[in-house]
Amino acid sequence: MRRKINAGKMLDTVVTYAILLAVAFVFFFPCLWLILASFSKSGSIYSFDGFFPAQYSTASFVKLFTDTTMYNYPKWFLNTLLIAAGSCALGTFLTILTAYTMSRFTFRMRKPMMKTTMVLGMFPSFMGMTVVYLLMTQFGLINHLGGLILIYASGAPMGYLTQKGFFDTIPKSIDEAAKIDGATNFQIFTRINLPLSKPIIVYTALTSFTWPWSDFILPKLLLKEKNLYTVAVGLMSLDETEFARFAAGSVFIAVPIVILYFCLVKNMVNGISEGAVKG
Amino acid sequence: MGIRMKEKWNDFTSAVRGSSWKVKLSAVVMGGGQFLYGSYVKGILYFLSELSIIVYMVLRGFEDIAGFFTLGTQKGDAWLGTVGDNSVIMLLMGIFAWIVIAVFIYLYQMNLKDAYHTQKIIESGKGLTPFKEELAQLLDKKFYITVLTLPVLGVCVFNILPIIFMILIAFTNYGGDIVPPELVDWVGLANFKKLITLSQFAPTFFKILGWNLLWAVISTVLNYFMGLGLALLLNKDCVKGKAFWRGFPILAYAIPGFITLLAFKFMFSYGGPINQMITAAGNTAIGFLDLDAKWMARAIGILVNCWISVPSIMLLATGHLSNRDMSLYEASRIDGAGRWKQFQKLTMPFMLFATTPVLLSQFIGNFNNFGIFYFLRGGLYVDGYFLASDTDLLINWLYNLSIDNNYYCIGAAISLVIFMITSLISLIIYVKSPSYREEDTFQ
Amino acid sequence: MKKKSIALLMIASLSIGIFTGCGKNTDSAQTAPDTQTGEESGIVSTVFNGELEHDVTIQVLENDTAVSKGYFAELIKAFNEEYAEYGIVAVDANMNQYLDLANDGPYGYGPDVLYQANDIIMQYAEGKHIYPLPVEKMECFDKIPETAWAAYRIELGGTAYTCGVPVNVQAPMLYYRKDLLPEDWETNWDDNGNKIPDMAENWNAMYAYSVNRHEEDSSRYGYMKSLYDVYFSSGFLFTYGGYVFGNNNTDPSDIGFSAGEAEKGAWVLSQLAGAMSEECIDDSITTNAYSKLADGTYFATITTPDMYSTFLDEMVLAYENEGIEEAEARARAEENLVMTTLPSLPESGDLTEENATFLEAKSMGGINGYAISAYTKYPNACLAFVEFATSYEMMVKRSELLGVAPARNDAADTAGGTSQLLYDNLESGNIVLMPSIKEVSQIWTPGETFFTDLAKDAFRTEKEKKYTDLDAMKKGLETVDQQIYDAIFTLK
Repeated sequence: MRRKINAGKMLDTVVTYAILLAVAFVFFFPCLWLILASFSKSGSIYSFDGFFPAQYSTASFVKLFTDTTMYNYPKWFLNTLLIAAGSCALGTFLTILTAYTMSRFTFRMRKPMMKTTMVLGMFPSFMGMTVVYLLMTQFGLINHLGGLILIYASGAPMGYLTQKGFFDTIPKSIDEAAKIDGATNFQIFTRINLPLSKPIIVYTALTSFTWPWSDFILPKLLLKEKNLYTVAVGLMSLDETEFARFAAGSVFIAVPIVILYFCLVKNMVNGISEGAVKG
Repeated sequence: MGIRMKEKWNDFTSAVRGSSWKVKLSAVVMGGGQFLYGSYVKGILYFLSELSIIVYMVLRGFEDIAGFFTLGTQKGDAWLGTVGDNSVIMLLMGIFAWIVIAVFIYLYQMNLKDAYHTQKIIESGKGLTPFKEELAQLLDKKFYITVLTLPVLGVCVFNILPIIFMILIAFTNYGGDIVPPELVDWVGLANFKKLITLSQFAPTFFKILGWNLLWAVISTVLNYFMGLGLALLLNKDCVKGKAFWRGFPILAYAIPGFITLLAFKFMFSYGGPINQMITAAGNTAIGFLDLDAKWMARAIGILVNCWISVPSIMLLATGHLSNRDMSLYEASRIDGAGRWKQFQKLTMPFMLFATTPVLLSQFIGNFNNFGIFYFLRGGLYVDGYFLASDTDLLINWLYNLSIDNNYYCIGAAISLVIFMITSLISLIIYVKSPSYREEDTFQ
Repeated sequence: MKKKSIALLMIASLSIGIFTGCGKNTDSAQTAPDTQTGEESGIVSTVFNGELEHDVTIQVLENDTAVSKGYFAELIKAFNEEYAEYGIVAVDANMNQYLDLANDGPYGYGPDVLYQANDIIMQYAEGKHIYPLPVEKMECFDKIPETAWAAYRIELGGTAYTCGVPVNVQAPMLYYRKDLLPEDWETNWDDNGNKIPDMAENWNAMYAYSVNRHEEDSSRYGYMKSLYDVYFSSGFLFTYGGYVFGNNNTDPSDIGFSAGEAEKGAWVLSQLAGAMSEECIDDSITTNAYSKLADGTYFATITTPDMYSTFLDEMVLAYENEGIEEAEARARAEENLVMTTLPSLPESGDLTEENATFLEAKSMGGINGYAISAYTKYPNACLAFVEFATSYEMMVKRSELLGVAPARNDAADTAGGTSQLLYDNLESGNIVLMPSIKEVSQIWTPGETFFTDLAKDAFRTEKEKKYTDLDAMKKGLETVDQQIYDAIFTLK
């Protein structure tokens, strides 16, 4: 009987790892392809042996960072980093606050607001782009990185429903206990709920950090000067023969995001299951 | 309803009769009543807000409202150096002026209520709440007001204002030849009439709508369950080095979507590595995404979309899973429930509850997923479709019709129609979902 | 308000004297029975009054190639030295080369001078986003052929204006490798004995050689091109009577992809596709032609002349990989890579016909040029820049550094070679200029779909083939016309 359980467990572990390997392969292979392509010596994807380049060199990366007369990648990278960091900080703050409020407080406008935001998300966003452009010309925020941060951060709370779902699962009894102890709502939020919601904060921060890296419609609309481009816009403006540069540039985008992930990963799994308080 | 209305009316009339002259002063000079009753700061604030709105209205508000109706009378000509009216800016400013008026009406109403309320407090002999204390309340009882002001303002300016604008555009002739400096005009329902009378429109619309719904449902379900499955798998006790395994999907997540799409498009192209291997093995090349590849292209689109979306759902699900009450699982194990039973009875309901909004926003995101087929298979008009291809979603078609052709007004009209259909569906689902109706199930 | 009335006053007073000076600036202006010429054409001399603005900076938007090859830096430097005494400084606008002036200009975010293809510049002209220019007074006026000027002419309110200055001619060119010709080409592949291989002279020989080359070694091909590309494929239709828009490309309601015997052109394309691989169906060849021509997989392809240096660099690289020294590799690449005008087409459309009579091939082309934004504050300084940049010296330098064909005849003479050929083709009307009206943006997707379908057809099984005869091709082209018409008019 006992051996049977062990065998079953073994089988389970083996199957789990087999699936994990398969998943890792599926996700890693295209990335690996892109990474190796960026190290291709010939600089063209058509001189490959099957999937991978025949010869390797770091020339494309050197070119990416040193040959900046036409395509100033380092500058684009810094711009994007600035925008991403700004809208990540501001956006996460606003989203978490909104979600928390919508989850914890009951007030007259709450349900209508929930329904409204739900519906607003359905509107095809590019139809509104003309207006965003017009607005920004009126605010004088064309060719300003701050303008983009403003838009990204203001748009972020629209997605609060995800975070609200999380807060809904934190027992309210904790709040009530604290309230009896005389804590204000502000204190309850900062002292009790925030520490409990690390996973969702990390998730929100990651998504709002990643968004500016991949968006090119908005920056293309609002940033006219090449020196102010973000990486995405810059890469899209590359000439069709600049494949190696494109691949190198796209691979390098992933670096800050992956670093951010590994910095935040220990906070991913946290909250109630390990926390001291239980409902 | 009628009785309630009547009650309200009675309340109102008695309030009017019962209010002192000081309150009535507030009806003319906002904050006047409060000031005379001794709430100086509040009174001044109300007065200042009235003053600033009046100044705004005089300086440009009335002009903007007029502009909203005329949409410009003087055409500009860059050659002659004449600066004419810019119709779209006028429309935008007009909307803004209406919003200011709405805010004013709200403030005015609040002002009257507050003045009446102050009077009642004074009459009942209780002391007034000092202004400081009222401010302090903003951190406690009315914490939500403090918190929501900024997000609501941002959303109004950058999300709601554009939508109002686009809805209004559907009733103008903006687009095509008529872009500034040409003057735009209101045309009423003409755009909608055009849509109804256009014989090619309806067949394509329903064909695309059908595929679009299918696509949204399949991708949402696939993405959601694969993301959740992956999170559960990585959550198992037997998995060592979770951060490492989780790193692979993260890598996929870290590469921007448009790059992924371009890379996949290349991989599946005739000159791409997959076809190279196929031809090297002596077979004929396969047109994965070409013009005849209707269902194959659709399937590839769905899979590629999975590749892009699953990692973020996995991340989210991981966060949620760690919020489960593990004692329930202990209890169920003692009761002899198997793993599948636990998943069915505990994990699933919990996850569904916590992530219905995610599911819905995924559905919306997929329904309006512009990028996938734009990058994978753009630039085709297929037989039997009116200026669209058989993989195009409504949003792609909308793009072909409006942005590509510059017919903003028609585009706005179509998106309004689509918007009404989709928002109705999702609203019904949402309102019926447990995470809306029973928000405290798990608390 | 004050500014407006002053401007009007100036126009009124100037228009009387100007009528004789500038009113005759085009043929149609003279023939058209117009009433507004006086005031309207006065605009040109009101704006360009010849008084140079001092101490100003003008933003110039050049195309990416000119920037990356260093030509633009030289141009700016030379101009700034020349105009240093006026304090006029030209700088790189540093914006996207495809920026939308109509959108950004009115809010003050556009460049002052821009370099663009004629179709784009003229779309701006329709919305009055760029200024009409006093071209007759310019030094380059009689050096540039009338066909090139015509591409920049627009009629507004009965008066014709010229809104840009042609700089260079863009049209498809044939690229092939001399060292990949059959060894016996001088005896067997040069029927007229003019030392030019027949493959570069007519499509029948090119087709025959392509079939040959692929049969000898299945991994090699002769002529290769992604057929979906309307810019390159439509020339085949034009040769047999097709056109884009009627009335000299000005009437969008008359779409002529199926006009005349255009289906013969489609037939030629489908025969050519038969000698290619499936890669001609999508954009694979467009992107891989550079390296595949260099490694000898392809023998020939067509693309625009400005890609010459890219092909050359790839070939040098390929030779170097074979172990040849750099200088030697470059010399060899320059010797073996040939760029020339397109081969002629058989009158019957049959590429296998022997002793066919040939038609000169037509192709879709464009004229790139300079234009001045109507939102600039310094029109005269801008005009001075355009004058400077279109001078003989700068045009020659441009052609040297970028390998483009100048629109000026004296510069084309100096540049010689293909520039001369292209110039001749432009004058003889074999280059059909891209329409200068904005409806042209609707021709691409329908055209691409048809050409893709046609290319795909070559690889379908006999039973599935859609385009088995000329009639079917004609029908296909008619569908293209209909789709373009729909795209332009149904929503209007």
